[in-house]
Amino acid sequence: MKKPVKNWLLASTVATLLAAPTVSTANSDVEKLTQDPANWATWGGDYAGTRYSKLSQINAQNVKNLQPAWSFSTGVLRGHEGGPLVVNGVMFIHTPFPNTVYAIDQKTKAVIWEFTPTMDADVTIPVMCCDTVNRGLAYGDGKIFLQQSDTVLTALDAKTGKRVWSVQNGDPKLGMTNTNAPLVVKDKVITGISGGEFGVRGFLAAYNIRTGQLEWKGYSMGPDKDTLLKPGKSTTWENGKVTPVGADSGTSTWKGDQWKIGGGTTWGWYSYDPKLNLVYYGSGNPSTWNPVQRPGDNKWSMSLWARDADTGEVKWVYQMTPHDEWDYDGINETVLVDQEVKGKMHKTIVHFDRNGFGYTLDRETGELLVAEKFDKSVNWASHVDLKSGRPEVVPEFSTEHNGEDVNTVGTCPAALGSKNQQPVSYSPQTGLFYISGNHLCMEYEPFEVSYTAGQPYVGATLSMMPAGADVLTGKKDGTTNLGQFTAYDAKTGKIAWSNKEQFSVWSGSVATAGGVVFYGTLEGYLKAVDAKTGKELYKFKTPSGIIGNVNTWEFEGKQYVGVLSGIGGWAGIGIAAGIDDGTSASSSEGLGAVGAYRSLSSYTKLGGTLTVFALPN
Amino acid sequence: MKMFSTAARLFMTATLALATISVNAQDKFRVCADPLNPPYSTKEQTGYENKIAALFAEQLGQELEYTWLPERIGFIRNTLKAENDNGEGFKCDVVMGVPAGYDLTDTSKPYFHSTYVLLIAKGRGWDDIKDSAQLANLPLDRQEKLKIAMFDRGPGTEWLQKSGLLEQGIPYQSMTGDSEHNTAMQIEKDLRAKKIDMVILWGPMAGYVQSQAPKGSYIAIPMQSSPGLKFDFSIAVGLRQGDNKRKQQLNELIDKNLDKIQAIIAGYDIAVLPIPADTGKKDDD
Repeated sequence: MKKPVKNWLLASTVATLLAAPTVSTANSDVEKLTQDPANWATWGGDYAGTRYSKLSQINAQNVKNLQPAWSFSTGVLRGHEGGPLVVNGVMFIHTPFPNTVYAIDQKTKAVIWEFTPTMDADVTIPVMCCDTVNRGLAYGDGKIFLQQSDTVLTALDAKTGKRVWSVQNGDPKLGMTNTNAPLVVKDKVITGISGGEFGVRGFLAAYNIRTGQLEWKGYSMGPDKDTLLKPGKSTTWENGKVTPVGADSGTSTWKGDQWKIGGGTTWGWYSYDPKLNLVYYGSGNPSTWNPVQRPGDNKWSMSLWARDADTGEVKWVYQMTPHDEWDYDGINETVLVDQEVKGKMHKTIVHFDRNGFGYTLDRETGELLVAEKFDKSVNWASHVDLKSGRPEVVPEFSTEHNGEDVNTVGTCPAALGSKNQQPVSYSPQTGLFYISGNHLCMEYEPFEVSYTAGQPYVGATLSMMPAGADVLTGKKDGTTNLGQFTAYDAKTGKIAWSNKEQFSVWSGSVATAGGVVFYGTLEGYLKAVDAKTGKELYKFKTPSGIIGNVNTWEFEGKQYVGVLSGIGGWAGIGIAAGIDDGTSASSSEGLGAVGAYRSLSSYTKLGGTLTVFALPN
Repeated sequence: MKMFSTAARLFMTATLALATISVNAQDKFRVCADPLNPPYSTKEQTGYENKIAALFAEQLGQELEYTWLPERIGFIRNTLKAENDNGEGFKCDVVMGVPAGYDLTDTSKPYFHSTYVLLIAKGRGWDDIKDSAQLANLPLDRQEKLKIAMFDRGPGTEWLQKSGLLEQGIPYQSMTGDSEHNTAMQIEKDLRAKKIDMVILWGPMAGYVQSQAPKGSYIAIPMQSSPGLKFDFSIAVGLRQGDNKRKQQLNELIDKNLDKIQAIIAGYDIAVLPIPADTGKKDDD
């Protein structure tokens, strides 16, 4: 028999002590860390993925005085996506392949530890379609989680950099790779998979935070036991209402066994609502590559998902682009904010898709509330029908409708989307979302000979050109800018303001309580703009083009803003991979893909650097 | 990701005018190839592309030098168009086999022409098939028994679709992610294991599968191209756009050695067709 504890205070202290080492604190740990704006403890700044900081030391008035405070070379070329994490004063940064992790002491600017996993470049690099990027780390339970390119998920001791465990998340021999940042939720680490162009079937997986053991895995398509859709319980938006899905909805819109190579990979960002205990994300485009060869809606590619964090069971799923013909990969981030829409408060999820539409749904039920173009040059669909939830496709811009021997011209957006993976930010002060965007259209030219793994076939050439139209109205205006930075109201679907950028904006933004929004440009500028008006307040040219996310934190009473520069990724692949020698003659027929980004090489070169900014002392 | 099936394709349209590289006898004949991609190339240089490369190098009096990389998405970007780490020149100057008119590289004149082949394992109830059209017209109960491979991309899948056979296809990735296992090897293994009974496969790969079994193990039916569905392609040497001197040199080598090239290819059980006159890249590319 236990001795009764007489002192109530003592009892509660004992309870706290006992509770401390249990793993159930991992969640509240991350949640607590993200509530302190001195930290930047997860990719999105918080579980909701708002990328909003309560820090206001740097504000719209004084940001013009911002200065680079220190910098650090990662020693790696190629594209640097993602951004620095800062947890209890220690900074953690990562690199593209070979995925080196550095823990940095902010006081001394010295490396506390570094870790480079052992990976076989000959095995991994050939299966990474679009440069060897990595979107960053996750922190939780005293560990740093690294999702390696070769699909190995590794947990490192945050203090020492010593490896605690590793688990194989996928099989590179089947074309699987990873580029995403993991997310720590309760006692689990959530991760996804890349490799759509190899016909990889996408999934979201949860691993035990202590042991690395697989807890659950939900596929994007396949039988219900694979997708973890529960017929009659899991829902989707249909006929103007939240409707339970039928049995095997993950195979019924595919021919035969095509779902087995169905794509729908999950290489974007994941967010989490602790109250609803749901994990949110988007799934990518369907495979096979040629849409003609995969009749049907190809569910649940191109979809937004809500899964139970403990079991992976699907609460709801919503397909944005049924039967994709344009490569409008649906993996972009999902931001969770509470907003009043049409006179009623909702817990909403907001997602800006590659397809050019901004979606606002009720994140509890999956009810579709708003779906509007955040770039009015978008023309592949006239609108999204709010009742059916389906886009009204314009036949003129459908490669399939036009047939394989007809050029499909001027489809907007281009395949890289009105926005790609670079995450948006949201400011509760303005109620606006800040979107780093592309402003491009594309043409498909059929009858090009192509070649996959030794087998020739007739494919199509895709070339891209500036949208040449106004973001706010869609009217042709002959402009040549390839990027836009846009503020959008997800309650109404209205664009508040939009700034032109010469090149696509491939950097995730951060909004702050100082009324400032920061983002990076492909030429390498870190920019600060006024959150209300978009007015440019500050810019500084970093050593290389920026495709990383800007993060902000506080250290010893001072607010810092930091970003990884290092051109590469899809937009910079011409430079990163040495295709473009900078002397190329201009294509007579407008700008091709590398063509569209070609002049970038006169602004910036390869090289990974962290640059940290602060106000002068 | 798909980040992008089309991602890789984005770069196909780039028109690159590189400074002309002078070609002389001191240069090496520098080839990028897959180290394990039978029947095309192997590290032991047993593939027909290895042998054609050796022939060309010998005739030029140049040393043959290989840079090896598995041939997957991004191969051209990471080889022919990739600069050396020291910033001087590229990893190689030629890729021995690409389709004539390929959009990622410039191409020499074609040196052979082949077609996709419907390859059927004998003795599994399909020995009566003499023509691909028969498959489309089979009675339903037989059609349902078909075990035919279906690739992501490629004309075979399109043919299956047009023939109403998509439901019967057994899906395969267009390329394996395995650097120690290519698609031809996988198909050969699965045919032997009876996972599939038939496949529509590109000529050289069909030749490889046949070469791994006793003669007469397979029925090989060349697929017929029709308007809108092309099965036959010419193969050429791939080189960087703008490398015109080398292109001229390669064209001369091909003209001079056409008999020898065809003799090499004849050793690999490959369905060979006459090279049509109109293949090759349009001048305005």
